[in-house]
Formats: sequence, C-alpha cells, structure tokens
Amino acid sequence: MSLGQALSTALSGLRTNQAALALVSSNVANAETPGYVRKTLIQTAATTADYGSSVRVAGVNRELDAFVQAQLRTEMSGAAYANIRSTFLNNLQGVYGNPGSTGTLESAFNALTTAIQALSTSPDSQSARIGVVNAAQNIAQQLNQASQGVQALRNAAENGLAESVSTANTAMSQIAAINQKLLSGGQTDASTASLLDQRDQYITQLSQLMDIKVIANEANQVSVFTSSGLQLVGVEAARLSFNPQGTVTPNSLWSADPTQSGLGSVTIDFPQGGRMDLIATNSIRSGAIAGYIELRDKTLVQAQTQLDQLAAQLSSALSDQTVGGTPASTGSGDGFDLDLAGLQNGNVIHVSYKDNVTGATRNLSIVRVDDPSVLPLPNNTTNDPNDEVIGIDFSGGIASVVAQLNGALGGAGLQFSNPAGTTLQVLDDGATNTIDILSASTTKTVTASNSGAAQFSLFTDGGVTAYTGAITGGGSQLTGFAARISIDRSLLSDPGQLVAYGPGTASGDTTRPDFILSQLTTASYYYSPQTGVGTSTSPNRGTLLNYTQQVLSTQGNAAVAAQQLSDGQNVVLNLLQQKMDTTSGINIDNEMAHLLALQNAYSANARVMSVVNDMYKMLMQAV
Amino acid sequence: MAIDGVSNRTSYIGSTILNMKSQLGELSQQLASGKVSTTYAGQGVNRGLAVGLRAQISAITAYADTATNINTRINVANLSLQGLVDINKQVKTAANGSSMALGTGGQTSGQISAQSAFANAIELLNTRSGDRYLFSGRATDTPPTATSDEILYGSADGTRAGLTQLIAERKSADLGSDGMGRLGVSAAGVSPITIAEDAAPSAFGMKLSAVNSTLTGATVSGPTGSPPELSIDLNGVNPNDGDKLDITFELPDGTHEKLTLTATTKAPPQPGEFLIGADANATSDNLQAALQGGVKTLANTALVAASAVAASNDFFGSPPMRVDTSGGPLASATALVAGTAADTISWYTGEVAQGPTDSARGTAIGRVDQAITVQYGARANEDAFRIQLQNIAVYAAVTTSSSDPYASGQATALSQRVALNLSQQQGVQSIQDIQAEFGGAQTAIKAAGERQAQVQGMTQAMLDSIETVSPEEVSMKLLALQTSLSASYQTTSMLYKLSLTNYM
Repeated sequence: MSLGQALSTALSGLRTNQAALALVSSNVANAETPGYVRKTLIQTAATTADYGSSVRVAGVNRELDAFVQAQLRTEMSGAAYANIRSTFLNNLQGVYGNPGSTGTLESAFNALTTAIQALSTSPDSQSARIGVVNAAQNIAQQLNQASQGVQALRNAAENGLAESVSTANTAMSQIAAINQKLLSGGQTDASTASLLDQRDQYITQLSQLMDIKVIANEANQVSVFTSSGLQLVGVEAARLSFNPQGTVTPNSLWSADPTQSGLGSVTIDFPQGGRMDLIATNSIRSGAIAGYIELRDKTLVQAQTQLDQLAAQLSSALSDQTVGGTPASTGSGDGFDLDLAGLQNGNVIHVSYKDNVTGATRNLSIVRVDDPSVLPLPNNTTNDPNDEVIGIDFSGGIASVVAQLNGALGGAGLQFSNPAGTTLQVLDDGATNTIDILSASTTKTVTASNSGAAQFSLFTDGGVTAYTGAITGGGSQLTGFAARISIDRSLLSDPGQLVAYGPGTASGDTTRPDFILSQLTTASYYYSPQTGVGTSTSPNRGTLLNYTQQVLSTQGNAAVAAQQLSDGQNVVLNLLQQKMDTTSGINIDNEMAHLLALQNAYSANARVMSVVNDMYKMLMQAV
Repeated sequence: MAIDGVSNRTSYIGSTILNMKSQLGELSQQLASGKVSTTYAGQGVNRGLAVGLRAQISAITAYADTATNINTRINVANLSLQGLVDINKQVKTAANGSSMALGTGGQTSGQISAQSAFANAIELLNTRSGDRYLFSGRATDTPPTATSDEILYGSADGTRAGLTQLIAERKSADLGSDGMGRLGVSAAGVSPITIAEDAAPSAFGMKLSAVNSTLTGATVSGPTGSPPELSIDLNGVNPNDGDKLDITFELPDGTHEKLTLTATTKAPPQPGEFLIGADANATSDNLQAALQGGVKTLANTALVAASAVAASNDFFGSPPMRVDTSGGPLASATALVAGTAADTISWYTGEVAQGPTDSARGTAIGRVDQAITVQYGARANEDAFRIQLQNIAVYAAVTTSSSDPYASGQATALSQRVALNLSQQQGVQSIQDIQAEFGGAQTAIKAAGERQAQVQGMTQAMLDSIETVSPEEVSMKLLALQTSLSASYQTTSMLYKLSLTNYM
C-alpha cells in the first residue's frame, strides 16, 4: 500500500532531518571549540517497496584535510620551540638591564672606573676610597644578580621540562586509551567522530611538546613516533619520566651519566620494557621540550659562562702578577730560575722556547693543580690560543713536580731541576742545541694587599678566598664565579688597602689606583671561546669593556633573532590554521543556510505526512 | 572534549590585533621614555657601539671631575706660591734697607718683621686643598713642615733642638774659645808672623784662603801645611808708607772676606792700618797686633753672621747637621754630625724623594685624558722653598746683644747675607719656576677639557641616534597604528556581526 509507504518515507525524512538538525546544532555549539572538526551527515537513499525510496542515515562524516593537519602538527612543534626560545631570551634581556640606566653591568663597570679615576686623583681621600669599595661591591653584586637571573631562567626551564613531560604523559596515555575505545573500528557514528576529535586534540598537544610523526590505519588506530623514530604510542603508551632538581646553580650541569648529572634528564620507558635517555640520545629535536633542553643546557649555560668569564677576568686582571725568571746556567745548559713560592692552584708557569730544528717558537703553560684526577688538562684551560697547556700535580711536593715536568717535557729537550727551596730551574739541552729557552715566567695570584706589588685581590671568591682559576675534582673555580664574586671583605673595614700596597706607602701614592685603572680600561685579555664570543683558533681579545660590549651585542642579537624566528613560525602557523579552519572549521552562515534548508525539508516532510493523513481521512469517510 | 581556551579561529584573527596592540604599547613607552627600547635587544644592531659610547661619555665625565679637582688644587697651591714670593720680596727689602738699630729683643726691625714672615711662609706651605696637604709630596695626609715655633725654638719640652740652638752651638764652634774664629796668630816678637788654623780637617772657623803682599822686601807664603798656615816675614826691611798686606779668609757660608792692612807712618793707625816702626822688628810687632785685632773683628762680625747662615743651611738640610760634641766641647769641635729625631727638630715632615729621579712634581699625577697626565705635586723641601725658608729663618732667629761692641757689624753682615741669598740665584730653582710648571699643567688641563667637550658632544649625538627616538616619528607611527587598529576593530566586529543568524 503506497500511502503507508509515503508515510514511512516522510517519517524517514523527518528522522534524517532531525539527525541533521542535531549535527547543525552541535556544529554551531562547538563553533569555537578547539579541535572540533565540522561534522556532516552521511545520508543515503534506501529503496523501499516498488515506488520511491526512503532516506537513511549512514553515519557522520568529519570534514578533515589530513594533509593540512599533518603539516600543522609539524609547524606546531617548530613554533612551540621558537616561542620558548624567544620568550626565554627576551627574559634574559631583562637580566642585563635597561641600557643607559643604572643596574646594568656596563653602568656598574663605568661607575667603577669613574670611582677609581677619582681615587687616582685623590688617593688620600677616605670618601674616594669608600667610593671605590662601593663601586666594586656594586659590580660584584651586579654580576651576582645577573648570574641569579640566568639560573632562575634555567630553573624555569627545568620546571618547564617537568611540566611538559607530565603533559606529554597525559596526552600519550589518552591517545592510547582512545585507540583502545576505537578498537572495534570502522564506525562512522557521532561518538566515534567525537573520539577522533579528542584524539587529534591530544596529538596536537603532544606535537607542541615534541616533534612527532603520526601513522593512522584503517581501523582508526594511530601510532605516534618521535621524528627520530622512537614509538611513543602504539596499542599502549610509552611513559616519559623526568627527575627535576629543586635548585639550579651554575654548577648543576646535565650529564649523560646519571650519577654525575646535576639536572634532571628525560627518560622513556617502553610498554614492552626497556628504558632510554632521550636527552643523551638527542631524540627530541623540536617542540617545547627540545626548546627547554637547549636553553637549560646550552644557551643559558653559555650566558652564565659569559658572566663567569667577565668576573674571572675582572678579578685576575687586578690580582695576577707575572714575574720573569732570573737567567741561570749550569754547565752548558742555559735557562731560568723561577720562584714557585706563592704559586697557587690554577696559577701558571710560562716557558717559551725555540725549536732549533723547525725554527718554531713554542709556548708552554704549566698549570698547577692539586688533584691528580683532573689531569691531563685540556688545551683550553688557558684562554691563550698560542700555548700548550700542561697540568702538573703539586700535591706531591717539588721533587714530584720536577719528576712530572721532566717526564712530560724531557723529550723536548727541557730539563727541570730544583736547586734549592722553592726554586724551579729550567734549562735547555746545552751542547746538543736542539732548543733554546727564550723566556720563563710565573703568573701568581697576589693575595696579600701589602705585598709591595700593585696587584692585590680586590675581588675574591665569596669574600675571603682568592680567585686563582683553581681546577679541582669538583670542576673549575671559573664555573659560577659570577654568582660568588665579592669584594675582599677586609676592604670594608680598611679601604686604605686600595692605596697602601706596601708598608709605609704614602697616602698620596697613586701607584695602585693607577694600576687598577689601566688594568680595567686599557689592558687587553683573551676570553674563552666557550663564551660564544670568538673561536678557539682566534679567541676574542680586548679590554674588559670590549668584552662586555661583545657579550651584550651577542645576547641582544640572539634575542632579536629568536624573536624574528618565532614571529616567522607564528605566521606560518596562522596560515595553516586558517587553511585548516576553512576546511574543518564551522562557518555559522553555512550552518544557518543548512538550518533553513533542513527547516524547509522538515516542513515539507511534515506536509507529506499531513497530506497522507488527509487522504486516509478521506478514505475512512468514503468507506 | 578538553577545552583549553579560545579556538584557533579566534586566536588567529585576534593575534594580528594583539600584535598591533603590543606595538601600540611599545610605541607609547617609546614616546614616554624617549628611548628606543628598555633592552639591549631592542636597541638594534648598534647596541654594542652604544655600550662603548656610554663608557666614553662616562670616562669624559670622570676626566672633567679630575680636571676640576686638580685645577682647584693648583689654584690653591698658586696662592701659596704667590704669598711666598711676596714674603721673599718683603724680607729682602727689610734686610736691604732697614736700620741696623737693635731693639729690646736684640733684633733689628727687619729681623722682627722676618719672624712673622717666617710664620706666614710656614703657614702657606701647610695650606690644604680639602683634606690634602699640597706640599708634602705623596704624604698628602701629613703636614709638610713642623710648626714655625718648633723650627725656630725647638720642641716645647726642650728635648729637640731648634734653629736658634743650632745657631748658638755653631757660633761657639766657629768662634772658638778665644773668639778668634779658630785661627791662631803668632805672638809678638816672633818672626816671621804666622796665622794658622787650629785643626785640620775642621768644619768650623775661618779658613785661610790666600795672602797677597805689596810690602817692600817682605816675603809672604802659604797657606800651606796641615793645619794650613801662612807666614809673613818682613826680612828685616821696613815697608813703605801705603804698602799693603791682603789676607783672604773663607767663611763657613762660603763667602770670602778680605783683611787688608796698610802700612802707615801716621800715628795712631786707623783700623786696617799698622804703624811703620823705627825698625823692622817694631813694625813686625805692630803688624802682628793689627793682624790680631783685624782677625778678631772679622771673627766677631762677618764670621758670626756667616756661622748663623751656615747653621741654618745645615739645619734645613736633610738630615739636619749640627756640631759634633762627642770629641770635646763646642769650642774645639771639628766636625758636624747628623741630628737625630730624638735631639733635633726635623723641619720637613712630608715625603722625602725616593731617589734622584723622583721629582717633586711627579708626586701628584692627574690623568686628564686617556693618554695625558699632568704633574702638580710639590714638596716643601724643594730648593726654592728651602733656600727662602732657611734665610728668612736665620734672619728671624739671630739675636745680638746690644752690649756687644760688634753688634752693629754683626747685624750688617747678617742683613747683607740674607738680602743676597734671597735674591734670584743663577741655576738654582726659584718659586717662579714652580709657578711656571703649575701654569703648564693648567694649560694642559684646559686644552684636554676643551677637546673632551667637543668629543662628548659628538659622542652624545651619536649615542642619541642609537638609543633615543624622535617624538615626532613616534607620534606619527602611533597615529598610523591607531588608525589601522581602530579600522581592524571595526572590521572584525562587523565581520562577527555579519551572520545569517541575525536575519532569520
């Protein structure tokens, strides 16, 4: 009976209309929901009886462009990485202060030179002396603060890592859980579509944290890999772990060896067993986690090294006294006598000799250490690019020092001996004449303020210990020196030490103030290439001011470059998002037009029903 | 579904607007502060140069402070120097022209004025600029000299001798016990007549320098031997009227005095003459008596004055020298000994030179430019000051008893010596020399200052071009941004409003 068929077809039309209306309302409601993909109804005509066909809802379609989505995820990791770097480097700019105002390293440095200039004009004036003490204290505190700022940022990176790892874990386990729920596979109903939306959203979240590759199959299952190839999510999720350290100091550095590492490391536990360190294997190359790791272990460490180098050079420039050896000869060997009294851990003996075979001049820097475990020393222990560094353990007394030196350099023709007391004699090979010693000297850190030398320890390590660049089992004294630099505490009670360099120095004697001024303003030094300024073959060389200029320039450039990179990434990301939106996003106008059409279709179907109803009524009356 | 904020669409439409808003914030901050940025990063590629420029300006400011400071010090020092020059003039005039009449204190009016002049000179050398003594070399916190009272009269407790005591001691040593200036004249009736110094070597008394004779038939010889002696033998011949005998003595202060005796037939002989007797023997006796008297007069006038001048020179030396009494009494002493800090006032209390190359000027060096230093130190024991001080001091210190028959001669001899010594000497440093050196330093400071002012101007202009913004430019940018921002707001709001929803 075709009236009945018409009725049921109209009914199926009404049902489909209602389902479509439900989707429209869901689309409109989720218009601003992140990750929501536009849903459309899949409807097909179903043949019923002989005439016509009714309509059937086959499922829900997600309007998704998988290619754009994949691209978006890649760019998202890049943008997150660039954004973190830019944010941190801009914060780091805050550490260096507002140029031209007080509270910057340069203004503290300029204030110090001005104060010393005033002291050099009025060495007898108590107020000029106190002025220098205050200015020196100020620059030390400025370095301490900058150092603290850098470490606070490293701490923030460490915390950022911890947070990122926990977010990544949530996302990964959720992805795995949704995979499980979709295991029945192949459905296209609304709940499946909504689960897919959710899973995509978690994957997007994960892609902001690290660079990932997503592989989907027909059964609605996805596997997530890092771009280096580690599987993060399959049927089950791997688990990342991170062991954050509460306080981060300049001395806490990451190491692949967990017993030596002062900072947390990201490790992965695979569901099928097995464990791997993601930082050591360099498995995460983009995204927020990579950004944090790079900042924590490279960028900010370098920023700290820059400050340390400035602090160390500032300190050594005023305290290091180089004394030439006295010529000596025994038999046919000619050379020098060097007095090792007062040579401290980290201090250097320089010997320069000419190789008569090749005609080349070779410079040796013999560095004192007191711990044999740190030997041999790398060649970059000194900043001088033209020397060879030889570390000698002084803990065994002078006889052992002579033995070590002869062992290391006897082959080159140099002969060391200890004629008496603390004297070290270095001689050439005499009649054999393969080498000639050109010069020999010692560079010692002067600790006493009244030694008769203009040098003294204005700056110290923590207020009491002199800075000698000591190398111990715990690392170099240089590491984190900017955080510990302080003026010699005894200066606070006796600023007269700024002038009195020996017993009975006249109060108007400008020897020491003049020395300080020239060391700070005109003397040039080498700076370690580890600061990122200069290279190991041609290290940066210049005055302290030149170096400060270089550091501030480099950091400023880096911040600007990071900002530009981040801006560029954001533009790309915006474009892709826009593209994604046009395909998968909700256009309200579209939905409303759809709504109107549905409304019309609904009333048309209803109309059909009412007509069928009328016809039935007519039939009933006729019977 | 996890909702973590506004959707993508809102964020990408909003982000451009947010960008513009943050630019607006940045621009308004620029306008308010006048600076391009508050970070090194924001200053652009010249940020490193700006650091250097700021350091240069800071250094120039420091140099300017130094220059002001040093100028003040040199000006104060110059006032002292001018004061010393005036004092020199005043004492010299007094010594040259004043009356030789002794007042109640045993001093002439010139000497009395020299006392206050000396106190003034000491005060001028003790001048300070701020806390700094300008004439102490590097010992700028120590007064350069002892007080004028201590210098003249010794320490209050009497343990350390001052100039007056040293003058008195030296006077005894120079005059000898018999008041003959440590010379012995042979007795009457002995031929030849001899004059001999009493000891050799001896730092005291008059020294025989030369003898000249026009006495007819006489032989003069010497001074020879040790101690030196000279002899006059008339050889039994009577000299003629008008014949002369000249003996030249060297006095302790290095001056020479000539004793001239002229043979005369007029009785009684005047001072400086001897009577020709009946025979050569009588004449010889007369000559001996005249010689004896002449030497005594010379010893009690010129020698006393010269002794005081020498004593003052010794006292103002470093270390102060005084008569060595370890071998006997003052009157027979033959040597000087260095006074110790326990027994003699050390007049100069500032820093002493470390060596011959340690110039006084180099004790205060001011850096007025990167490579320019000026030297403006001074020590009160520089020759110019010392010579002036020791001569004014001796003039002020010597007293003469008015009952002394030689009083007038002594006063005259002293005045002459003081006046002469206070005059400019060839080849000896004068206060005017120091003034000239200070003037040179001030000229250098001025030149450096002018150059720095120019450099500072240029540096500041360059720095401004890096770190400041022009308000006009920022205002223009602000205006443009404001327009485009409000246009964006308008369009965005219109876009959001324009929805089919409104028309159903």
